[in-house]
Amino acid sequence: MNPVAAALGAAFALAGSGAIAALPAPARWGPAVVGAATAGVGIAGAAAGGAAVSGTVWQAYLPDLLPLAGVRLAVDPLAGWFLLLVGGVAAVVGVYTIGYLGRDGHGPAARGALAVLPVFVAAMLLVPAAGSVSTFLLAWELMAVTSLLLVLGEHRHSPAVRTAGLWYAAMTQAGFVTVLLGLTRLAAAAGGESFAAIRAAGAGLSPVTAGGVFLLCLAGFASKAGAVPLHPWLPRAHAEAPSHVSALMSAAMVKLGVYGIVRVGFDLLGGGARWWWLLLGALGAVSALYGILQAAVATDLKRLLAFSTSENVGLILLGLAAAGVWAGAGQDGVAGVALAAALLHAANHAGFKTLLFCGAGSVLRSTGTRDLDALGGLSRRMPATTALFTVGALCAAALPPGNGFVSEWLLLQALLHQAPQAGTVLTVAAPVAVAVVALTAGVGVATYVKVLGTGFLARPRGDGAATAVESPRSMLVAMGLAAAACAGLAIVPVVAAPALERIAGELRAGPELFAGGGVDLRLAGIGSIVSPLWVAVGVIGLAVGFAAAGRALGRARRRAPAWDCGDGPLTARMEYTATSFAEPLQRVFDDVLAPEQDVDVTPAAESAYIVRAVAYRRRLPDRIEAHLYGPVIAAADAVGRAGRRLANGSVHRYLAYMLAALVAVLVAGVIR
Amino acid sequence: MTDQLLDLACGLLLLTAVGVLWRRELSALITLLTVQGAALTCIAVLLAVEHRHAETLFVAAVVGILKIGVLPWLLRRVLARIPEARETAPLVNIAASMLAAAALTLLAYTAARPLVDLAPSPTARAAPVGFAVVLIGFFLAATRRRAVSQIVGVLLVDNGIAAVAFLATGGVPLVVELGVSADLLLAVLVLQVLTTRLRAVFGGTDLDDLRELHD
Amino acid sequence: MSAWVTAAVQAVLVAAVAPLVIGLMRAVRARLEGRAGGRLAQPWRDLRKQLRKEPVIPADAGMFFTAAPVVLMATSVLVAGAAPYLSTAGPLPGVADLVVVVGLLLLGTVALALAGLDTGTAFGGMGASREMTIAALVEPTLLLAVFALSTRVGATDLGAIVAAGATDPARVFTPAGALAAAALAIATLAEAGRLPVDNPATHLELTMVHEAMVLEYAGRDLALVEWAASMRLTILLGLLANLFIPWGVASGAQPAALVLAAGVFVVKLAALGGLVAAGEVFVAKLRLFRVPELLAGSFVLGLLAVIASSVLA
Repeated sequence: MNPVAAALGAAFALAGSGAIAALPAPARWGPAVVGAATAGVGIAGAAAGGAAVSGTVWQAYLPDLLPLAGVRLAVDPLAGWFLLLVGGVAAVVGVYTIGYLGRDGHGPAARGALAVLPVFVAAMLLVPAAGSVSTFLLAWELMAVTSLLLVLGEHRHSPAVRTAGLWYAAMTQAGFVTVLLGLTRLAAAAGGESFAAIRAAGAGLSPVTAGGVFLLCLAGFASKAGAVPLHPWLPRAHAEAPSHVSALMSAAMVKLGVYGIVRVGFDLLGGGARWWWLLLGALGAVSALYGILQAAVATDLKRLLAFSTSENVGLILLGLAAAGVWAGAGQDGVAGVALAAALLHAANHAGFKTLLFCGAGSVLRSTGTRDLDALGGLSRRMPATTALFTVGALCAAALPPGNGFVSEWLLLQALLHQAPQAGTVLTVAAPVAVAVVALTAGVGVATYVKVLGTGFLARPRGDGAATAVESPRSMLVAMGLAAAACAGLAIVPVVAAPALERIAGELRAGPELFAGGGVDLRLAGIGSIVSPLWVAVGVIGLAVGFAAAGRALGRARRRAPAWDCGDGPLTARMEYTATSFAEPLQRVFDDVLAPEQDVDVTPAAESAYIVRAVAYRRRLPDRIEAHLYGPVIAAADAVGRAGRRLANGSVHRYLAYMLAALVAVLVAGVIR
Repeated sequence: MTDQLLDLACGLLLLTAVGVLWRRELSALITLLTVQGAALTCIAVLLAVEHRHAETLFVAAVVGILKIGVLPWLLRRVLARIPEARETAPLVNIAASMLAAAALTLLAYTAARPLVDLAPSPTARAAPVGFAVVLIGFFLAATRRRAVSQIVGVLLVDNGIAAVAFLATGGVPLVVELGVSADLLLAVLVLQVLTTRLRAVFGGTDLDDLRELHD
Repeated sequence: MSAWVTAAVQAVLVAAVAPLVIGLMRAVRARLEGRAGGRLAQPWRDLRKQLRKEPVIPADAGMFFTAAPVVLMATSVLVAGAAPYLSTAGPLPGVADLVVVVGLLLLGTVALALAGLDTGTAFGGMGASREMTIAALVEPTLLLAVFALSTRVGATDLGAIVAAGATDPARVFTPAGALAAAALAIATLAEAGRLPVDNPATHLELTMVHEAMVLEYAGRDLALVEWAASMRLTILLGLLANLFIPWGVASGAQPAALVLAAGVFVVKLAALGGLVAAGEVFVAKLRLFRVPELLAGSFVLGLLAVIASSVLA
């Protein structure tokens, strides 16, 4: 039997039985059952993906499973890459769930919401495995609905959850509609709805049809991926969902938007015009910059991580755009490198974002707050969580020797490549893209220094942080697994090289991307080399060496109070907070962020010149959301209000509407 | 060798344009403008030598006298009479101006491509530099408050046009160049009078004050 | 094997010369300002003194505070060993990549910023915040300069870039090269915390950047931080020297060539260091919120370098 089929079958069976078992399970055992089932589904999915990226392809047609179209599954290396990604994330999150839901009301308490978790993972596995338009759309919608249920898990606790759910529901359904329109138009034009049939006809489509399909699909997929300006759901949903769900959504589900773009743009439509990819590149650049700037000034830990997701998706889209442009210019080798960079960054982001969201969940669970201004001092009280979060932050900041660095290095190599015949637009676009990546990386580093430095180090700034306790073992084990995956991807990214070459070859028959064996990542066409292993060994080895030498030769350290300018003991209120840390950056990017600040000065009763209290308030609204979505929402609201007049509560009137509609349809049919 | 010198002069032309946008001191602006005039003269001389063209050499001499000598001297005289030495609050802040300059340069490079393809001589491929200087000059004139900055902006535009003309055609008809330069000289003289009058009336040369004349 | 010896020699040379570069810069500055100034080897004496003293750490500091000096030192030594200072044939071509070098230096900055935050004092946080803001804004300039430089060889391998410059200096002295050098020079000043971005001699809270982060260090930790900071300056100046004054770098590991290369390298460093110090006499420190203007300028220089490399080359 085909290993992919076996593994996928096991995954779906486990998901079903896990969901069913969770419903009657006693509340104490629910999380363990669901967690184990989710982890199992994840492991099976990852196994299927692993088999597929090593070259096993699998196709199946199950005509009886669904009426009309049936279910068509097809797993190729590209699908395998995303199966591996989703499966890996789900396995970690499954283990994490066992402890996370354990006590204190964090995470969904309701059984229904618990039971949905494995189904959600199965839906995410079904998306890349789908082999036809109808199956794909079915899986996509299943994924959207189950994730919505999970986002709403804590809706009883706070009204913000309900708002987030509303945004998410509206945007995900709008996105679904555009994808639906795009793909059905594509299937109609190609004369068949299986991906194989579309692929065969894809190159012969008229440029207008192909462009329209690409735009429609891009709108839906980019919104699912959280690309700016289609992002407003993301910071809300990621922040308000229970953390294990945030991890699944941010690390895995968002990537399926990327998968959709790759599948439709490169595979089904077979490349396309240059303006597609320049548009995608612009989208990516805006997402990366806007995402990281918002993350840099955010003080809500999970909102910050959510905006960082937008940023990373932006970088991935930039990579895809570079791949499309280079492929159009006939530079298949560089296109392959860009595609590899995008896919590798997707995997890397999945790794570190799982770790970071799980870490954020642990912090939230122990301290009861996700406000960075009220955290701090966790490195003493939660040393293991702090260490693991540090690994994630290092990777997310794209610093060597983290895994984010490797994929950004690859991306830069693809962007830095210059071809004499590339044309004017590319000569202009490439340096701009490099500058965007660089600024994103720079601000990203500042952002993660802020998170780590103000969230975990020094003294606790609030009561929650002061009484924090370390997380249960299963959560630490899960985060450890994610950290290990990050470390693996960071130090020996070469293991992913054959899979990436296979995918690049499948999408456009490029030459070999990576030259030679060994531990270095050596680009065949470009001539650049990076050896993450040596960087890691060098930094860690030398640092340990210096520390040991210092300890052996120097005198022992002594603790003393820090310099307090001679003015009494230092208190936690004197520390820099996340807000103050980000203030210079906020000032520099004042024109982009447009913060709202007001200062209230309350004078004393005796004299206007004696100040009794000063209140300072700063809000950083999402400008794109306010300017782009505000008018749309207002218009929709107005239409809704106008529509209310149609419904006055009279049953006769409703029945009359129905009759009128029926008659109209029949008349239309007769005239036709 | 000539090619390398030409490249260097073009680089200097662009660099001084960006520098004018970067600095706030008005005296530094004039110095940079002088350097830019020198670079422009250099381009003209190099082209004249390369084409062995006496008329172009004469144009170069005129350009040199005007741009290195007369115009900076006039501007310094204006500067000596007004109290403001710095561009304190431009309409667009300096950092954003720099980014705008970058964008304008990229735009110039893209837009000038067809022109370069039209006359694929080794000198013509540097023509985008001239376009960039023109755009930066307009930007400067549009976003600065001080009259001197605005004159400098207009002069940048002229330098840019001259550079494009030199580079794209390998030399400009004498009459055209003289006509343009005479116009400019006139413009500077008018502005000089204007700034003096402005100062007499308002005590400063912030051109936004002119709006009050409307009321 | 011999490549490893080269790397070790380079690392030791940079480590040994770095305090002297600082000493030289102080001496030049003092002389130009009409002061007597300290001796050339004074920074070495300071290091020796501090290495012997007892390290005192703040009561609230944790692991990050004690780990930062060694991480900073490790990144500096790694770069010093791998980058092509004496020979273009290093043992670790996968570390001597421009992007990797930029990343490693940034890792050192981050370690120190986290240490500043870990002290729990306002000074530490202030320094860290300012340093990270500047580091974030320097990054685009650095990578655009990398872009302009990589056109020489079509790769970001430092060894290849320096080797290409050494064999064909005409390709270095182009407008693109000059613009890239100017951009990289400004970025270097910002990264190394020199005037006009940061004043290494100040302890005033309004102006401190680097010093605010390391205020709580003492004894051996302080010695490591200062040593590493001087090494970073040397590393950056050395890179600038070898990228834009490409002569005198050996292409193999023959001892004679290495000795010659070491001599040339020290001379280049001294010249550049003297130049920076002389320049510092004439400039004042910029206000923190004027620094973005400077960096935007250097960014445009970098961009112009890239454009110039395709227009004027």
